[in-house]
Amino acid sequence: MIHNPLLLKEFRQRMRTVRAPVVVFGYLAAMALFTFFLLYENVQGQLTLLLPQRSEQVFLTLSLVQMTVSVFLTPAYAAGSISGERERRTLAVLLTTPLSPLGILAGKIVSSTALLVLLVVVTLPLYSLVFLFGGAVPAEVVEVFVFQIFTILLVAALSVGWSTLVLRSGWSTVLSYATVAGMLVFTGVAGYGLQLVAQRYPLDQFLAGWSGILFSLNPLWVVAWLEGAVTGPPHPWAWFCAVYGAVCLLLMTASVWRLRPQILRFLPRRPEADERDYQ
Amino acid sequence: MIQTQHLCKRYGSHQAVRDLNLFIRRGTVFGLVGENGAGKTTTLSMLATLTTPSAGRAYVNGFEVMQDPAGVRHSIGYMPDSFGVYDDISCTEYLLFYAECYRVPRTVAEARADAYLEWVGLADRRNTYVNHLSRGMQQRLEIARCLMHDPPVLILDEPTSGLDPRSRLEVRQVLRRLRELGKTMIVSSHILQELSEVADEIGVMRRGELVAVASVDVLRHHSSAHRWLRLCGEADDEAWRGALKGDPRVVEVRPVDGGMEVLYAGTVAQQAELLERVIRAGIPVTQFVEQATDIEELFLRLTDGSAWDREGAS
Repeated sequence: MIHNPLLLKEFRQRMRTVRAPVVVFGYLAAMALFTFFLLYENVQGQLTLLLPQRSEQVFLTLSLVQMTVSVFLTPAYAAGSISGERERRTLAVLLTTPLSPLGILAGKIVSSTALLVLLVVVTLPLYSLVFLFGGAVPAEVVEVFVFQIFTILLVAALSVGWSTLVLRSGWSTVLSYATVAGMLVFTGVAGYGLQLVAQRYPLDQFLAGWSGILFSLNPLWVVAWLEGAVTGPPHPWAWFCAVYGAVCLLLMTASVWRLRPQILRFLPRRPEADERDYQ
Repeated sequence: MIQTQHLCKRYGSHQAVRDLNLFIRRGTVFGLVGENGAGKTTTLSMLATLTTPSAGRAYVNGFEVMQDPAGVRHSIGYMPDSFGVYDDISCTEYLLFYAECYRVPRTVAEARADAYLEWVGLADRRNTYVNHLSRGMQQRLEIARCLMHDPPVLILDEPTSGLDPRSRLEVRQVLRRLRELGKTMIVSSHILQELSEVADEIGVMRRGELVAVASVDVLRHHSSAHRWLRLCGEADDEAWRGALKGDPRVVEVRPVDGGMEVLYAGTVAQQAELLERVIRAGIPVTQFVEQATDIEELFLRLTDGSAWDREGAS
């Protein structure tokens, strides 16, 4: 991966502009202000009586806000990756190089998440402040951190997939944000709705099961579960990884065909490629 | 080196390329000419593995474009007619990036980047961001980019399109120098005159079909058989026509400011006879010049005017 020329070029391009440090500084400043506000609310101006439960809430709020922000920021960086190459009229040349389609897609996914991962990493010292007041253990922080990185990569992969399939940045952005909205809003609302119905009919295990599955597909709920704030089916992250991993696999397979239609040359009625798609 | 057999491309009901049979030998520069929509770009895209053919086969450097596209990609340097560049990377970084895509060793790539930047006249711009270059410079950089992995075949789609006259000239100079490298090249353009300066052979496409192929040498040979001569001297129209009438090799005469232009189907020695005839007729000749033959006009004559849409050429 480190020898992926596209990845190295993207890193060079993205990180040498003034935009990158400005975004990192702005994000860190905003999160720091938010953290200090939460901590101040927690202690209410006194340091004699500290409630670990309140610190736990600070940790949970920080994690949920960070997850929401990073998940919504990811399509902004990834949804125009391949379609942007087409619109910049650099895709045709890129496709006549021996770079593999998987190499191109992987380079785009990793490069578009680099800044977001950096944002998550630079906020780690803020999390450490929560330790001062108790309420969170290092294992929880590590779990949440790893899950956040995984979710960012996942959303980036989905966005790059849409970007490759539709090859129009506008549509790709719409589809990527619709996907993110589905992950955050639909699964949450539908899961909560089913949970309410299941509470009314406690014997209906089917509804309760589906409610748990839908919650497991919601990254915010999984973060809350990792921090022990909610209870539900065991290992919801496994469902999360399996379902979205399968969706990613489908999108990536279609994307590989989109970039290299010759892979289907063995089919008698193969779909044809058109150079106008790439220019 | 490049061969197509009954190559076809359909877009729905539109036949973009039909039954194209091409054979381009190693080291040949082949010019593909035709008006917009003739099928040139589609043909080159199929050779560059960007477009899948609807029927037929195409071979580049021995690799079939559908069966072994990876082999084709290693063999070609492709420059599309409409291309863009990356922002915020320098010319050297741009060339090194593409060299890395072809797994050219770093030291070799750096040496080549320096050499080719010098070669296309951009040595003093090696650290300039690519997006800060003029369009003509970007075209020349693209040609250097095509050479970074030392491919045996170059596919250049309208390399001078969208350029001002000076930039066109600079790119044409680079194309002429490319010939010296011994690469097999297929170059498209809608300007025949331009292609004739760099190509060994020229093929004319019209509505997806290859309607004529001619060697530039043959064209030049024909052009030497029919040449325009400009004769100047003080005499009226009647006197000029009277003097020229007796020579059977005079095909056409048209008056110009201060004299006559004559389309002459004779050798250089016979031109001397013509001059002698005019002087004998009492016309004081002050100028006797052979005009450069318009190769487009000649191609029109050779193909009975059917192959080339003059409006498309303008």
